[in-house]
Amino acid sequence: MEDVLARIAAQAGGWVELRFQGRSTKQVSVRNGELEESSSKRIQGIGVRALVDGVFGFASTTDLREQSVLSAVEAAQSAARTSAAAKKHRIPGLAAATMAVGTFPVDTDDPLDDHPLEEKLELVMRIDERIRKASSSIVSSSTSYAEIQDEKIIVTSDGARTHLFVAIPEFRVMAVAQKDGNQCFGMKANGVNGGWRDLFAAMSPEDMADYAVRTAVEQLTAPLPQGGLATVVLDPGLVGVLSHEAIGHTVEADIVLGGAITAEKMNEKVASELITMVDSGASEHAPHATGTLPVDDEGVTTRKTTLIENGVLRSYLHNRETAAHYDVEPTGNARAFEYSDAPIIRMRNTYIEPGATPVEDLIAGVEDGYYMCGLGFGGQADSNAEFMFGVREARRIHDGKLGEVVRGATISGNAFDVLSSVDAVGNDFQWDLGAGTCGKSQYAKVDAGGPHLRCRATIGGRQ
Amino acid sequence: MNYETKLREQCRRAVDAAKQCGADEVEVLAQTSRAISVEIEKHDLQTSSSQQETMVGVRAFVDRRVGFACTNVLEELDATCADAVKLAKASPQDDHNVLADPVPVTPIDGLYDPAAEAFSVSDAVEQAIRMIETADSMDRRLVLGGGSFSANLSSRCIVTTRGIDVSDTGSLFVFHALATAKDGQKVSNMAFHFDASHSVAGIDVGPVAAHACRDALGSLGAERGESFVGPVVLSPNAVQSIFAGLFSFQLNAKNALRGASRWGGLLGQSVAATTLTVVDDGCLPGGVATESFDREGLPHRKLVLIDAGVARALMHNAYTARAMKADNTSHASGSARSIPAIGTTNLSVVPGTETKDEMIAGIKNGLLVNRFSGSSNPISGDYSGVAKAAYLIKDGKLDRPVTGTLIAGNVFESLHKIIGISSETERVYTAVLPYVGIDDVSVTAE
Repeated sequence: MEDVLARIAAQAGGWVELRFQGRSTKQVSVRNGELEESSSKRIQGIGVRALVDGVFGFASTTDLREQSVLSAVEAAQSAARTSAAAKKHRIPGLAAATMAVGTFPVDTDDPLDDHPLEEKLELVMRIDERIRKASSSIVSSSTSYAEIQDEKIIVTSDGARTHLFVAIPEFRVMAVAQKDGNQCFGMKANGVNGGWRDLFAAMSPEDMADYAVRTAVEQLTAPLPQGGLATVVLDPGLVGVLSHEAIGHTVEADIVLGGAITAEKMNEKVASELITMVDSGASEHAPHATGTLPVDDEGVTTRKTTLIENGVLRSYLHNRETAAHYDVEPTGNARAFEYSDAPIIRMRNTYIEPGATPVEDLIAGVEDGYYMCGLGFGGQADSNAEFMFGVREARRIHDGKLGEVVRGATISGNAFDVLSSVDAVGNDFQWDLGAGTCGKSQYAKVDAGGPHLRCRATIGGRQ
Repeated sequence: MNYETKLREQCRRAVDAAKQCGADEVEVLAQTSRAISVEIEKHDLQTSSSQQETMVGVRAFVDRRVGFACTNVLEELDATCADAVKLAKASPQDDHNVLADPVPVTPIDGLYDPAAEAFSVSDAVEQAIRMIETADSMDRRLVLGGGSFSANLSSRCIVTTRGIDVSDTGSLFVFHALATAKDGQKVSNMAFHFDASHSVAGIDVGPVAAHACRDALGSLGAERGESFVGPVVLSPNAVQSIFAGLFSFQLNAKNALRGASRWGGLLGQSVAATTLTVVDDGCLPGGVATESFDREGLPHRKLVLIDAGVARALMHNAYTARAMKADNTSHASGSARSIPAIGTTNLSVVPGTETKDEMIAGIKNGLLVNRFSGSSNPISGDYSGVAKAAYLIKDGKLDRPVTGTLIAGNVFESLHKIIGISSETERVYTAVLPYVGIDDVSVTAE
């Protein structure tokens, strides 16, 4: 097929991008010991994007025969031509980029297909039972396994010709504890870009279940946090969420052009000089981050992009269109979820670089504050970097020592203000958003993480 | 051969293939979607696109075990059927895994406009341009930061071994506008408005763009608000964000069956002020979610969920109806890509008798919230977030636009503190909702 697509691209007359995607997904989910879903999905198709008279047009087809692909090319070119007359700002051209050539296999020695469905179902059922039997306070359990396996061929008329494979398994557990009519949740979700063994390398499914149970039960008798501005130590999970949700979206160049708070801040100090933030197509510091991709969906070789360097904003995230607008090199952030989606600017693995402070010293330096771990229920962030996230697990810190658990905590503020208040960055590192799916008119599998860090933020909790 | 005929052939072929693999009961949903869309970004046209896909979803039952597989690779349909049966055989048995028995389906008029077949990319571009021109004609400070126009044609067919054999075709044009106003350094909140039509003649994008633009202009120059605990008037859009998810979750029979729904055990009891009546009607004339039959092939019907503040009914599909020995309310939801879930169709809050302005006139000190950006937990009922395009209400009148104002409360409690429901309603996605006033909301100016 690669040869056919290359021939069509060469003869299309003008710039075209052809993306074949074959996707297989599997899902097993169990609630309270009963099967909720056991399913498989197989989809394939070709997405075609054409640039005509400075306007993109897009069409897709599920028919892989050459004649149908040619018809899709014509439909994309026709859609572009139709819009061109009315478009005010034509795209003057696409930025030159290192176009990818070659084959990229999944980075694992334990492929998902070597593990039969029965093994995955047995694991989900067993872990769900473990949750329910762990404590008499547990009234509900939920456990699920899901996997996405992609094969992509990306060909452009200006040089990309690549064949890549992606495998993303994820595992989720949730426990609901109840006492005196009060319900509390504990949850844990892990996902990786890799194979079966890689999924459980950082935490076994049994440990995930035990964590969910412990956090649910502990919260039952926990007090609510005191609202207000406080010194907090954030774990790698919340550092990842803050990096992705509250900062990352504001540096996506299409959002910047739409009027994000970062539009006028390039090369200005936006965070503490202890903060260096990166978005990368590789999995730096720890393996198998979910957003890992060597080639983006425009066929561009991905780069490690330093967004904030020692507190100074240094780059946005680009596709070839916005890179041309800003006269910079594309960063390899154009991504499409399915063959029928046109690529748009998305993050990959977004993180803060580790610092020099041992985690115990971060906590020891807090006289009165909170230790907050992971994204809980709910959250939102705007293009002005204002955010509010539910917190999965929160504890008080008194005189440098971890204290009692609090429940229902939220953290909010302006992400740049929070990052400006950072006075110490941990020397550890962890990916934590691997089971996350980012939504921005279409989905994307991304990851985010970092070290622990200490900062000031507004703590909330229903009073 | 038309789309429904082709889909029926695929369904019957798949039913036979799954039976040959060992399924004792089978349901196949085949669906063809054709779409044209034009996006607006930064007050300009963006990528135009056209797409078509046929997806087939197969639910196979083997001795009360169930498996589901779907594909758009029609040449591999036999393998998909085999997958569904294999998944079923590996799954635990559940006595409630059944297919629905057939009920006659009467086609609903007005869901399909043959003129939609000729609707082209250039027609869609024309509509998108009209939205931008509407903003230009109102005020030069306006920018349509986002928006879209899409034309969608969908044909479905469901065939089951229980005798269900139904098909339909629908057309739906969907359009929305996101407007911002800029005046020097002053930037308004982003304002959103949405509408849809099943017919070409019903497409009217101008009012949608104008509504979003008016809201954006109104919030220009907004300043810090005030902190208080008191009355808040929620726009239909904010009602959707804060209340609709909770109604949908709490009245979902599957959640009641799991013990996750607080309202599951409260049928016949008061859950809201007596002024609140909530209805779900999959047959609503012109409704965005109106269809002749649900995800399991049963005809929709109107269902009163909350009547004068009293919880009256749960939404069921075949599984929960059997498990809870209740009537199936035809609320199986989803597409050929997924197993049937339970969901609302056209959810509506029955309008009141006073206008929005009359409701506001009765408030001495309060807040009008046009959009809510935050989270509303459908299980605990807790909601908190930022009030967008919000206005202070003073002595019965809109006083001034405010920014950076948080509202927080609990939906279960707020439903008992409803102080007004407006006579005017708006369509918000598939819901039709009025303005709703609630008291004792925590309002915090940052």
